[in-house]
This record gives sequence, structure tokens and C-alpha cells, in this order.
Amino acid sequence: MKLDRRTFIKGAGAGTAGCALAALPGSIAALGSVSVKGSETSIASSCEMCSTRCPISARVVNGKNVSILGNKKAKSFGGAVCARGGAGHSLLYDKQRIVKPLKRVGERGEGKWAEIEWDEAYRLIAENLNKIKAKHGAESVAFSSKSGSLEGHLFHLAKTFGSPNTFTHASTCPAGYVVAAKAIFGGKIKRDLSNSKYIINFGHNLYEGINMSETRGMMNAQMEKGAKLVVFEPRFSIVADKADEWYAIKPGTDVAVALAICHTLINDDLYDKDFVAQYVEGFDEFAKEVKNYTPEWAEAISDVPAEDIRRITHEYAAAAPHALVDFGHRSSFTTEEFEMRRALYAANVLVGNIERKGGLYFGKKASSYNKYAGEKVAPTLSKPGVKDLPKIDAKRIDMVDEQYSLLWSSGGIYQTILDATLEAVPYQLHGWVMSRTNPMQTMTDRARIVESMQKLDFVVACDLYITESAAYADVFLPESTYLERDEEIKDKSGKNPAYYVRQRVVDTIGDTKPSWQIWKEVADKLGLGEYFPWENMQTLQMFQVNKDVSLLDKIKNDGWVSYGKPLMLREPGMVNTFVAEYPNAISPDEDKTYASHLSFKTPSGKIELSSNKVEKMAPGRGVIKYREVTMKKADELFFIQGKVAVHTNGATQNVPMLASLMSDNALWIHPITAGHMGISSGDKIRIYNDTGSEEGHALVTPGIRPDTVFAYMGCGSKNKELARATGKGIHCGNLLPHVTSPVTGMNLHTTGVKIAKI
Amino acid sequence: MTKRYVLVHDENKCIGCQACNVACRSENNVPESVTRIQVRVEGPYGNFPNLHFKYNRVSCEQCEDAPCVKVCPTGAAYVNDDGIVSINEKKCVGCLYCVAACPYKVRFINPETRVPDKCDFCKESRLARGEDPACVSVCPTQALAFGDANDSTSEVSQLLDTKNHYQHKVNLGTKPRVYRIPSRKGGIKV
Ligand code: SF4
Ligand code: SF4
Ligand code: SF4
Repeated sequence: MKLDRRTFIKGAGAGTAGCALAALPGSIAALGSVSVKGSETSIASSCEMCSTRCPISARVVNGKNVSILGNKKAKSFGGAVCARGGAGHSLLYDKQRIVKPLKRVGERGEGKWAEIEWDEAYRLIAENLNKIKAKHGAESVAFSSKSGSLEGHLFHLAKTFGSPNTFTHASTCPAGYVVAAKAIFGGKIKRDLSNSKYIINFGHNLYEGINMSETRGMMNAQMEKGAKLVVFEPRFSIVADKADEWYAIKPGTDVAVALAICHTLINDDLYDKDFVAQYVEGFDEFAKEVKNYTPEWAEAISDVPAEDIRRITHEYAAAAPHALVDFGHRSSFTTEEFEMRRALYAANVLVGNIERKGGLYFGKKASSYNKYAGEKVAPTLSKPGVKDLPKIDAKRIDMVDEQYSLLWSSGGIYQTILDATLEAVPYQLHGWVMSRTNPMQTMTDRARIVESMQKLDFVVACDLYITESAAYADVFLPESTYLERDEEIKDKSGKNPAYYVRQRVVDTIGDTKPSWQIWKEVADKLGLGEYFPWENMQTLQMFQVNKDVSLLDKIKNDGWVSYGKPLMLREPGMVNTFVAEYPNAISPDEDKTYASHLSFKTPSGKIELSSNKVEKMAPGRGVIKYREVTMKKADELFFIQGKVAVHTNGATQNVPMLASLMSDNALWIHPITAGHMGISSGDKIRIYNDTGSEEGHALVTPGIRPDTVFAYMGCGSKNKELARATGKGIHCGNLLPHVTSPVTGMNLHTTGVKIAKI
Repeated sequence: MTKRYVLVHDENKCIGCQACNVACRSENNVPESVTRIQVRVEGPYGNFPNLHFKYNRVSCEQCEDAPCVKVCPTGAAYVNDDGIVSINEKKCVGCLYCVAACPYKVRFINPETRVPDKCDFCKESRLARGEDPACVSVCPTQALAFGDANDSTSEVSQLLDTKNHYQHKVNLGTKPRVYRIPSRKGGIKV
């Protein structure tokens, strides 16, 4: 049978019973294009099923399948991919994927679409955006994007268009630890889990929220090197199961335990005085503040026994400096996120594990690594600078308050788009252009997002599916998946410099384009083409490598290249190996390390345990301090969320292979709590609070505190276009209130809910 | 039989992430509704706070004394020289005796080929190319090891020599070639 459009639909109607959306306009099903052509030998590329971007090796098998494994060249990734990574091809030719531009034909969000050509899509965008710009100014259009290469191209468009309002999902997910690191260390810091002998973890569930090299590093440290893992988390997660000790800490009280650890380190004289004297600013103020934060005090708040906090702290100090307190990833547990992440960093600083094996360290990019080596060990990459970009005078909508200024480079306060749209604070937004971002799932207070989308004059979404957010767009631009795209070379330096690249593995299916091309073409239509001087990705890559063709070939062939030996500045063994390798290397200090070269990009050049800068930005917050917070009403249960290994937040729930592994997120309830309400596993329940109400079903399990309920995030979509995911499970964002945490600018991820059997 | 291929699943290292399940699918063209392998995260067992999960690999056990082979009337289910319990699609008459006989309930009918299917240690897809099985290569935490237990220098031999291990339902006399290293918390539960 010839697979043309008509016969395909006929076949689909007969074969896929119950799949009423077989012919969603613009979908692969509607276009009938299903064959997969591409490289049959393995191509080195990088994954995009989550944000870790693991190096992969992929090839087309029998024109039918794409086999995706890890790239063995990237040692710390070990040639492995997780279930999400392995399922990439299932997204590629999913019949529900959109591969043709669409325009809305019904009401916004109603689900009525018509296929259009790219040219018409660009025309609609240019007309509407230029109209808004003429009437209200360019700054009244917000641009938001998934982070990575995509972000760079969309934000460049925003700049040339004249809007300062660009956003990533940072404030809905990882901004907390990044902002706190900036305040204390002057920039991002990494953790050397693989060499750690003692790891204290506050619910950073690396065994479900998989980051391949960190997950592997931690497992290796635990299983092969006998590292001890202590986990504080209200839920019995996989990381709690793998821990040597697990404490079901009360939600939102992590900061108390972290401060009690700091208290004990100082009070029991366990901290590294030399390190503090040499590198730390503001220790005395900090020590004075934590004087009152005894383990007994923390026990009363957190339910973690004081004697355990004390013992754990002593064990941790004994293993130091090859020991660390994991500073976490996603989640604003409370509005005191900034203090909590700083307290976690402080517990590291006090044992002096900075730039030591098994502790925390800074990424060594080519430029700094070469300086230490005294020779060009690793090539440096160039950035294409575009001259004479228009100057933007308008203020960003989120920077009305000085206290958030540590946040900007990580993408701003995403949720301020809603305030600006609904309340004209600080001024009125009229348009929103989004690229592969799904705030309807990842931001809080879903109802407010719907309201905002409906109020805007014009909304553009570029994505792979009509996601919950894209469902409210006026124009939908179908992006090529990562398996169909080439991208820039990216820096992934760790203890030594490393680069990697994303490359196309299969021919483009349908009529999609990579987003770098989409935004360049939109710019052309807007009359801004002059600011996009590169022709295509090849020109850009060539520019990056300064026309060094053999370098480009090497990066493309290997997909991942790293240079030199791992280096940590205060680790004598590593410095020794480094110096032996490079004869022109900077000579080590007396103690045979590079300790004197360790500096920090803070105002004082030191680690700022207490910070004048922060005090000025947010009065009262210069010194790390405990403040009581109210997370829920007395008659409510704590509601917390987390990640599962087979899904990525709000992005993969409709991917067939992953949906078949998990399409629903039951609510975890403790047997005692469930017993009071007569709820058994599998019962239908309503979960509600002042923000929203959701229906789901119960999973009764002892793996959760009696005062807390838990759900994996990302389920319960509400637009019918995501046929596999819609109506399945609890939509977490619909229950979380709209609150922004001080300094970090983050959304809140813990709240109170009530439950009723239905 | 010179080779004795076995698979070792270290339940300490397993995180139940299903990467093995997904990689097996794309490598062996396993249709959506069925599966050659699943890792079931069971539990938590125990009393709060001394809880633990069990990470149970459910796939063909590659029995040395395979009930599925014994009942097959046509020789479609057979054991190869390498000891791998295999299926000859051409000889299969679809009687489903093997599916019924498997005490581990890991044989299924492939909805596309209409023939019984199950884990074959990636014999045709990857072993043929000299590669490790897909699940073993892809496992993020290196919970899986595959190799020849007759070779005393192999990783699997060394694991079996040095680590406490168990097999499922040994009382049935099927002699499974999937070995499991129990979680230090969970202990052995068969
Ligand atoms: S891939 Fe490895 S860790 Fe993940 S479920 Fe399979 S065996 Fe376990
Ligand atoms: S586990 Fe079942 S299918 Fe596999 S060899 Fe044993 S009896 Fe046969
Ligand atoms: S050995 Fe191969 S066929 Fe068997 S479960 Fe692993 S990947 Fe699947």
C-alpha cells in the first residue's frame, strides 16, 4: 500500500481505535509522513530529552527506528543514557507531533487550528509584532525560551527587536542554588560527588532526576568507594532508599538542619580555621547568628533528632575535606530558598572542601586552564559579536526591585510576565513569544497563566507538540527535534576543559525547522535581517573554531572532546600531576597546591558568608538567618512534588514510549492519614486548596510523612491536543500559589492541600 | 557448550530508571504494548523509617533447564550452543505451550510477528556485532554485567565469586542464568 496522505488516514481511522486525534492539523498523522531516513552509522550528538544534554551516539536502524546510546568518549557519562534519552526516537515520529506551521482559527485555547505555510506564519508574526511595537513599544513583547542554543537565538531576536524582556525557566526551577552561589562565591560552583567520602543530601534526588555524570559519580562513590550518604527528605524516594541514613524531615525545614550543622561545626570546633582565615569574609557575623541554631533547636522545627544532627556533623567533619553537602537543584521549598541554599553552601565552606577532591569546585574552562598550564592545552572558542545592536532603554519587567539583581543572567523572574500582563506591573505587556517552554506546567497558579494568555494581543509558540502552553498561541511554529538539528559547539568544562556538539542524525520529518533558522527568518520578515549575519549553523560553527577546520572535524567526529588532566586548585595530587604534564605551568605554592590562585568574583574577592552587597540589595538578608514560614493552614497537608526517572518536568508526558511507562501520578498518602479519610490505594480523590482543585487517585504508602502528600510533577495536562497526557493525573501547577521568593525570585513549590475521597 | 552466558543484576546499584527497558525496545524492535524487560520497583517494605524498595528485574531467566523448551512440540523453542534460549520463528506453530510453561511469566506474543518473544540476550541485534546487550550498555549506574561465566577472568565470574547473590525460584530446578546481588538493606527475598 502506498502511504500517501489519504490512504494513511483511512488506515489510521480503522487501526487506531479511540485515537480521535489521528488527524490533528499539522501532525505527522495528518501529513502521513512516517518514514525515518538518516545516518545508518553512528553520529555523535547530544540529547535533549532533559536539560543535562548528555553526549549520545545515535543511528537509524532499518529505516524504522533510531538507536540512541551514550557516547563512550565522554567518560564521566559512561556511554549511558536514561530512559528519556533512549526514547528520543519515539518523540521523533510520534504521529501527534506537529510538523507544519499552524494558525489559530477558533477562540484562543479552543483547539481549532489550520495548517499554513512558513511564509504566512512569518507574515502574521511580523505584522502583529510590528503593530504592537509601534503602538506600545518593543518592550511590551516578552520572549521566553528553554535554555541552551535555542535561548541564544530567540534572545538575540528579542534584543534586535528592542525588548529587554527575555526569560528562561530558571525562576521556576534551578535559580535558587545559582543565585545563592553568586552571592557567596561570585559564580556557579560544581560538586565532585564521585570522589566524595561523605555526602549529605537534602532531597536532591539524583537517582530519579537523573543527571548522568552526577548520578554515576554518586553511585560510584557509594558502591565502589564506600562513601556514606545521608538523606533528609519528607518522602522515601529512590535516593532515600539508597542512603545509609534517611530522615523524613518536615517539609520546608531543611534550612534549620543546615544551620544546625553549621552551628555544630563552629561550636564543636570542627571547622577549618585556616581555610576560613584565608578565604572567608563575614565569618564572625555568621558565627554570631548561628550560635542560637543548636541541633535541639533544629529538632523542634524539623523532626530530625538533635543527637543525629550532631553525630552526622561530626562524621562529616571527620571525612572532610573529601566530603560535601549537596546544594540541590530544583525547587523552592519555601520563600526562604535563598537562606536555605546559602546555609548549604556554608556547611561546605566551613569544612574547607572548596577545590578539594570530593568537595566543591569551579569549572575550568580553556582560558583559565591554559593560563595555569602556561601553554595552549585546549583551544578557546570565539563568540560572534554583532555590531551596532539597537540600544534598549526600557527597563525589564522583573527588575523593579533591586533585590533580584543577582538573578538576571540566569533568565529573570519568569512569572512576572503574568503580573505585567494582568496588572500592568510595572507596565503593560501585549505580546509573548515562546520557544520550547511550557509555563502552564512549570510555573505556579495555572489559572493565572490562562488568564494572561487570553488577555495578550498576540502569542507565538515554537514547539514540537501543541503543549498546554502552545495551545493558547495564535501562531504555532513547529521546531525540528534535536535528532534533526545541528547546533553550536558548547562548553561542558568540568575539572578540565571540554566541548561537545549537537548534530543531525535523521532527515527532517515534515515541514519543520531548527529554531535558530526560524528566529533568523522571523528577523528577516521584521526587517532586522542585518543583525543575523551568519548564513547557517556551519558558518556559526566555523566562526566559533576560528576557521580551524580540523578542530571542527574532531569535535564533530567525536561529539565530545576534553583536554588535559583534571585539576582542582587545592588538591596536591592533582596539582602535582598537572605540573608534571606541563613544564611551563605556574609553579605551585609552598604547600604544593595552587591555593594562592583561588579567588572569588565577589566584591571582597573572598567567599562571603555574610554579604554587604546582599544587605544593600535586600535589607536584613546580608547575614544568613532563620525565619519562620507558614507553608500551610492547620487543617491542610503539606503538598510536595518531585521528579521521576522516565519524564522531564512538563515536556515528555506525551512521548509514546514514555507515556506507556508512566502516564499518571498518583498522590502518595501515608496509611494513617489515608485511614482517617477512608482512602485506599487506587481510590479517586479530590485535592484542593485556595489556588485550585485537581482530581487524581491515591497511592497509600508508608514512604511519606503522615502530614505530607506527594506527586511526581508534569502530569494532568488540560489541552486536548496532548492526547496521551491529558486528564491523566494531578496537575501540580494548578495547586501551587503564585508567590515569589525574596532575592532568588523563585516560584514556590510547597503548599497546603486538603483531600477528599470522591 | 563452551560458553555460559549469564547476566548479573546488582540491586544495590539499580535505581529502577527503566533505561534498560527503553534501550531494549529500540534495539530489538519491541512493540509498545509488550516488553522483554521491566525493572519493577516494589515496596517500600519494612517499618518506617527502616524502609526499603526491591528492584526486581523481570526478563527471561535463560534457564539452563528451560521448561519452555521442554514443552515445545516443534523445536521452535531451543537452546543454542551459547546456551541462549532462543526462538526459531519459522518452526513456531503458535501453540503457546511455551508461554504457559514459563514459570517466570516472561514470554509474550509479539503483536507484530505473532510469535512468542522474550529476552534473548540481544543475540541477533548486538551480540552478533560483538557488543554487550543493550540493557547492559545503557544502564546509567552499571547495575548490569553480562558475560561468560565459564571464563574465570570475566567480570561476571568475578562478581559471582566475590558477591553474595541469588536466583529466582531455584526450587523449580530451572537453573536460571540471571543472577541477582541483593540490596544490602533488602536482603534476599525470592
Ligand atoms: S537501566 Fe540499570 S538502573 Fe535503570 S532500571 Fe535498568 S538495571 Fe536498573
Ligand atoms: S525464563 Fe521462561 S522463557 Fe526464559 S528460559 Fe526460563 S522458562 Fe524459558
Ligand atoms: S539482554 Fe537484550 S533482549 Fe534481553 S532484556 Fe537486555 S536488551 Fe532486552
